[in-house]
Amino acid sequence: MSTKPFLNMDERSKGIAGKIIAVMYFLTIISMQGVSIYRQLILKQSIYDFQDFAIILTINSLFLITALLYFGAIPFQKIKVKVILGFYGLIVVLGSLFTYAKYNIFLGQNLSILALFDKLIIIFAVSGLIVLFFTLFSFLGKRKMDKELKE
Amino acid sequence: MKLARVQKGLSQQNLADLVGATRQTIGLIEKGKYNPTLSLCLKITKNLNRTLNDLFGEEL
Repeated sequence: MSTKPFLNMDERSKGIAGKIIAVMYFLTIISMQGVSIYRQLILKQSIYDFQDFAIILTINSLFLITALLYFGAIPFQKIKVKVILGFYGLIVVLGSLFTYAKYNIFLGQNLSILALFDKLIIIFAVSGLIVLFFTLFSFLGKRKMDKELKE
Repeated sequence: MKLARVQKGLSQQNLADLVGATRQTIGLIEKGKYNPTLSLCLKITKNLNRTLNDLFGEEL
């Protein structure tokens, strides 16, 4: 009796499957973003109607970047504080712009500066957590790689 | 690589089974349309009793 596995994949077929899966994943994420924009701007649905999409997209992005950092797909020599702070600043700026657009343009609530400042505190905290998460997994990935190199 | 395989009396499927690849992969390597990993190259050379240079070395 043959002992061959049902899916007899070798390095070539795994490579091809990996590339196709990556492209399909990218297209799925882009499609979900397209659908979100379509619902928001064309169908004029409330942002709360597709919060499930937003959550999936956010979690996906977080896990994608974390996995890329942990498995060494984003190469870096050292974990530099300057780079981490720069990245934190970038997320804060993007988060602030997104929050401003969300409340003042999409939801039409015209937030006051004081109310926006309250939201900024949340942005600072959430961005900090995201950067901490990425830094932690970068560090763990680097440690794993160094350990493998020593063996 | 094809010559070495034939000299050893192996079909593409036989060699594929020995190295844990598919017949298509062996065929593509022989045609120069797929670059195998070093790990697969070593398995092939071991099973055909040749060196890496014999099978995959470029002639200068």
